[in-house]
Amino acid sequence: MNSWIRILIYLVAAPIVGGLLAGWDRRISARMQSRQGPPIRQPFYDVQKLWSKQNIVVRRSQNFYIGFFLLMVIFTGALFFGGSDLLLVIFALTLAAIFFVLGAYKASSPYSFIGAERELIQIMAYEPMVLLTAIGMYMVTKSFAVNDIANHPTLLVLALPGVFLGFLYTLEIKFRKSPFDLSCSHHAHQELVRGITTEFSGRTLALIEIAHWYENVFLLGWVYLFFASMPVLGVAMSLFVFVFVILVDNVFARLKWQTAIRSAWIVAAVFGFGNILVLSLLSAKPAIPAAPAAAIAQPAASRTVPAAAATPALNNANVIAQRN
Amino acid sequence: MSGLSKSPWIIHYDASSCNGCDIEVLACLTPIFDVERLGVVNTGNPKHADIFLVTGAVNEQSRDVIRNIYNQMPEPKVVVAVGICASTGGIFRECYNISGGIDSVIPVDVYVPGCAARPEAIVDGVVQALGVLEQKHKDTQAAVSNMDNVLYLRAEKSDAPDILALQKTAGQCEAEVYNEENLPALQQTLGELQNDFDQAVFIKAVVNGKIIGSVRGQTRDDTALVSGISVHPYFQRHDIGRRLVEEVEKAFPNAKRFEAFTGQPNKRSLHLLGRAGYQEFKTEPFTPAITWVYLQKERQ
Repeated sequence: MNSWIRILIYLVAAPIVGGLLAGWDRRISARMQSRQGPPIRQPFYDVQKLWSKQNIVVRRSQNFYIGFFLLMVIFTGALFFGGSDLLLVIFALTLAAIFFVLGAYKASSPYSFIGAERELIQIMAYEPMVLLTAIGMYMVTKSFAVNDIANHPTLLVLALPGVFLGFLYTLEIKFRKSPFDLSCSHHAHQELVRGITTEFSGRTLALIEIAHWYENVFLLGWVYLFFASMPVLGVAMSLFVFVFVILVDNVFARLKWQTAIRSAWIVAAVFGFGNILVLSLLSAKPAIPAAPAAAIAQPAASRTVPAAAATPALNNANVIAQRN
Repeated sequence: MSGLSKSPWIIHYDASSCNGCDIEVLACLTPIFDVERLGVVNTGNPKHADIFLVTGAVNEQSRDVIRNIYNQMPEPKVVVAVGICASTGGIFRECYNISGGIDSVIPVDVYVPGCAARPEAIVDGVVQALGVLEQKHKDTQAAVSNMDNVLYLRAEKSDAPDILALQKTAGQCEAEVYNEENLPALQQTLGELQNDFDQAVFIKAVVNGKIIGSVRGQTRDDTALVSGISVHPYFQRHDIGRRLVEEVEKAFPNAKRFEAFTGQPNKRSLHLLGRAGYQEFKTEPFTPAITWVYLQKERQ
């Protein structure tokens, strides 16, 4: 399928799928607590309502940052589903998260500040593992391009079980679920009021919700990448991971931020880095045939990535090829 | 459809309750009643909330908190007084530190009596509040779509409660500009405003029967004092303020000179008066943050 068509499908379908997933999330959570739960379409009602509410701001520029947050999240997903460079996707994702944090900093409220600071800590916690995931995928497929990774004939998760587990840990943080709902208090815990989203109301809050929908679809798309050679299994596993995250959310209490960052880094070091170390040791023996394979993969990668992104991606690829 | 009635987010505040009603409010969230099936979320953040559930009567300590939470909630919003103490003051009504029910501080839309109010009654109160919420939204929407047909009329004494409410809504935006809660416009009581009607002329801007703007004018010798320009936040930036000033000037055909005053950081109202032809002639410090600016205009 043409990458532009895929991007178009993502732009249209992601908010719908993301909203339904959010609805299922609330429904499944309710059932886990033996409650009836809201209708599946509840997140859409929420956004519709927020759209008709008054927008109270502390400073007008805070809404500007949130608008950019949404744009960058959409851009991240579009790059990903367009089959672009995985490293570029990660940079765009980080930039999006930073704009969210800046928006919260802009609204000078203590709760918003604490939320923003904790969000930064969460970014610190998950960023190493996200980068290791990209590197792990490169080690197996010899390409950072999502297109090449998705078309790789083997099941990636077989070579990257540790990286997959580490990525799962990252997802817990990215979905802002317990035990890592530090920055943004969902459910009944309100000691931070609403953390990072405290000062946003009306349409801006609706934009944040929509951005989360886009983000969640993109993250589950990344889970799919681990199983890309078997599409049915991939979709099933994405949904399973989603339900698993909800289960963990309902089972665990919140962790302290110190524990969150420490455990995330330990998981990244043990599972992520360990996995990659094993891979590099295994592939060290047939080093001579592996090198031309990498050389072939590189032009293939550079054809699909945008010109601006090609150079850093190739540089990175060279660095890792040399290490091999 | 605005989705308002399908996604009521609630903020719950205990004004001075014995916790009986609070426990019943939280019981609504438990599996037996599970109000989340109606889309209700207990947010704990006034800026996200649509419905303000208050329990207990108002005392000296909780008065400011109630007002503060209410002011921080985005429009449209509804207040539900849960329990007899919140509704009327209950058995604490005569206490030295109690000013009465919640409606002694902020306007209440739905009263849920009971001691303690039963969860079924609270859920029913919330459902009725949804109707009020939807109605408020419709009124505003209808007014917004009728923006071209604003009527400028002389206000009667019976308009005082509406004008007071408007003054407080508009004044709250002003308080944010000044970062000062104790503005005279926010402190005024209904009685004081009604007394003002004996001395001053009030002009109201009406859309669809709803007062969205008001101004008052008072004569002193040859001068007419124009003050209290308030426009509902939804309708600001539509030139209504300037038209109000124009109308109130017409009400004083004998005045040779007009005078108005506003605060220094309030650029919007300075701009408004500037467009109406007023020029600054005197400033006077009020608080460290605010300086009153006096403006004047000669009759042409």
